[in-house]
Amino acid sequence: MAEELTSQSYEQPAPKEQAQEESIPGVITTTSREINEFLKKTKIQDILNWGRKNSLWFMSQPMGCCGVELIVAGVAPMDTDRFGIIPRNSPRQADVMIISGYVTRKYFPALKRLWDQMPSPKWVFCVGDCSISGGPFYESYSTVQNIDEIFPIDVFVPGCPPRPEAIIQGFVEIQKKIETKKDRGSGYEG
Amino acid sequence: MDTNIGPDEMLIHMGPHHIAQPGPFRLNVKLKGETVQDSDVEMGFIHKGIEKILESKTYLQGIPVVDRACYLAALTNEEAFVGCVEKLAGIEPTERSQYIRVIVEELSRIQSHLLGYGEYTEFIGFMTMFFYPMTVREKILDLLEMTTGARITHSYLRFGGVRDDLPEGFEAKCKEAFALLRRGLEEWGELMKSDTIYRERTVGVGVLTPDTAKEMGVTGPPLRATGVDFDIRKDEPYLVYDDLDFKVCTETAGDVYARIWVRVAEIYESMYIIEQALDQMPSGPLFPENLPYDRRAPVMRVPEGEVFHRVEDPRGEMGMYMVSDGSDKPYRVKIRGPVFPTMQAMPPLIKDSQLADVVAIVGSLDPCVSEADR
Amino acid sequence: MEAEKIIDSLNAKFPDTISDSQIESEKRISAYAEAGSIVEICRYLKDELQFDHLSSETAVDLILKDEIEVVYHLSSFGQPLVLKLKARLPRNNPEIESITSVYWDANWYEREAYELFGVQYRNHPNLRNLVLPDELLGDWPLRKDYEDFPQKTAKNLV
Repeated sequence: MAEELTSQSYEQPAPKEQAQEESIPGVITTTSREINEFLKKTKIQDILNWGRKNSLWFMSQPMGCCGVELIVAGVAPMDTDRFGIIPRNSPRQADVMIISGYVTRKYFPALKRLWDQMPSPKWVFCVGDCSISGGPFYESYSTVQNIDEIFPIDVFVPGCPPRPEAIIQGFVEIQKKIETKKDRGSGYEG
Repeated sequence: MDTNIGPDEMLIHMGPHHIAQPGPFRLNVKLKGETVQDSDVEMGFIHKGIEKILESKTYLQGIPVVDRACYLAALTNEEAFVGCVEKLAGIEPTERSQYIRVIVEELSRIQSHLLGYGEYTEFIGFMTMFFYPMTVREKILDLLEMTTGARITHSYLRFGGVRDDLPEGFEAKCKEAFALLRRGLEEWGELMKSDTIYRERTVGVGVLTPDTAKEMGVTGPPLRATGVDFDIRKDEPYLVYDDLDFKVCTETAGDVYARIWVRVAEIYESMYIIEQALDQMPSGPLFPENLPYDRRAPVMRVPEGEVFHRVEDPRGEMGMYMVSDGSDKPYRVKIRGPVFPTMQAMPPLIKDSQLADVVAIVGSLDPCVSEADR
Repeated sequence: MEAEKIIDSLNAKFPDTISDSQIESEKRISAYAEAGSIVEICRYLKDELQFDHLSSETAVDLILKDEIEVVYHLSSFGQPLVLKLKARLPRNNPEIESITSVYWDANWYEREAYELFGVQYRNHPNLRNLVLPDELLGDWPLRKDYEDFPQKTAKNLV
């Protein structure tokens, strides 16, 4: 179950033979995946994306120093609410996961699980040097490196830690990517 | 903890991602009905091996790394590290830089307590209350930023002094921010103290007695809330705390309510310390003249020896034990953080309380998980 | 209580097991203890000499001497004194009695020293890993001959 929900799963082509076997004369059967694939080519997707980019709810999950700036970005006076970016506590309600610190070997399975629990379309972005390149802890015995090979990361926000304004800028970048259909979270890439 | 559960018992894992936790750690709670029977803390989710990394860095390179041991008390961490090296190398910082250090460390204490205060109110369900301290905290961070150049991780202290002098207009900005903070604290205090629900949730919850707190090695605000006036700034004065007039803030109840008001009282006290320090601060150089090395030299060989230096963190007793073998890197650094014993005291503290109170009790201890994991 | 008195009292009570006791500075005392009698010494310090607070407990790997030193920092809530107590253990088999029966909070410190240095504590209530994941247990990462440090897998370094 957990493996099926990873980022690669919705990029695979749908099994078409099965759909043909169950076809009834006079009735067109389809799957939600096919509808999805069809919609991506139409103007409806633009409207969907407009909605999606304006309600990027992120999972508040402080992991390190950047986590504090993440909290600050979520509340007054930075207040990301005005962009429709609202901190959520549960991964089930979130669209964006923010890796805000050093991923250790012990925490990595939990992080993967949180990512799997989020419903797609979902986006992930790295905040801070630790998750981008290891930061000051790149040589540590207990951290996992090269996070970008594991998660489909859209935006990297450098800084140690980045300012809350930079985190908001990261959200703006992700909005731009969604608008131009270049994000990795919706699965446009083949 | 015994994980075998009876017919009417339940095992709940809180964490590692849980909203009422300031960082990732796991609390395994065994419940009977709503009452906590037993619990167990699992940690190390952000263990990054700081002690090992420090062994591979020169002394100057070590300063940014200890900054990140606890991101809410970066300056006091630095003070412990820099103090260790100064004691080993026999450097005495100049008086002016000692005063500047006191000022920035107390500012750091204020911002940490404000976040603790705000976060705590959020944990017990006062989401709106969270925004007020965070707004004023920005003003304090502005002061820190104009002095040190960074909001959270400063790398400001140097062996024998500080990197830069206080900027122009610092005092005026300080006055402005403190006026705002004093007014705010009064307002929020009235708001919280008059709220029946808040009192119901906090008074008499998670009570620590002085003897159990001492037995568990708890320091800082949780200990002072039980009435023990243990404060390293008084008991083992470092910097110029000897010349400054301040009192150790204590309460007697030892419950969640008392812990919060100890923090609030400490914010007032820190402001008082800063105002005194600004008044008394002498002019003079930032670094002593007879420094045994160039102050920007990346490599400095510290004489052989070992030292244990303690400072008062916003969360309690912060100590560093440093062993030097005469080379340009420390042979061993042990960081004794205040949160480590405080987190250890969680299971006995939440025993026999209600599940809904677990969040209130854990939040009131204000644990900075990063520092406990290191 | 003054530093000299504490040292005299310790030396008089444990003439064979305490050695090299000295005053390092105004508020720091240090002493070496025989590993076998660490619990009695700690109990005496706590009950008679007011050292009621365990500031820290850790280990240092002295690879050149082929020893592991266990270091206890005992302090007090009443007096500003820190006593550094050390015990030498052989590096191939570091084993010492746990002091959790005297200081309750030694529990986690000892678990940490166990997983990072491999110090085996006898009669510890729950000697298992605290901060390390299970797969790293047994590598003793803070020992000086640990091989996987620095880690070289990071690719995105600038």
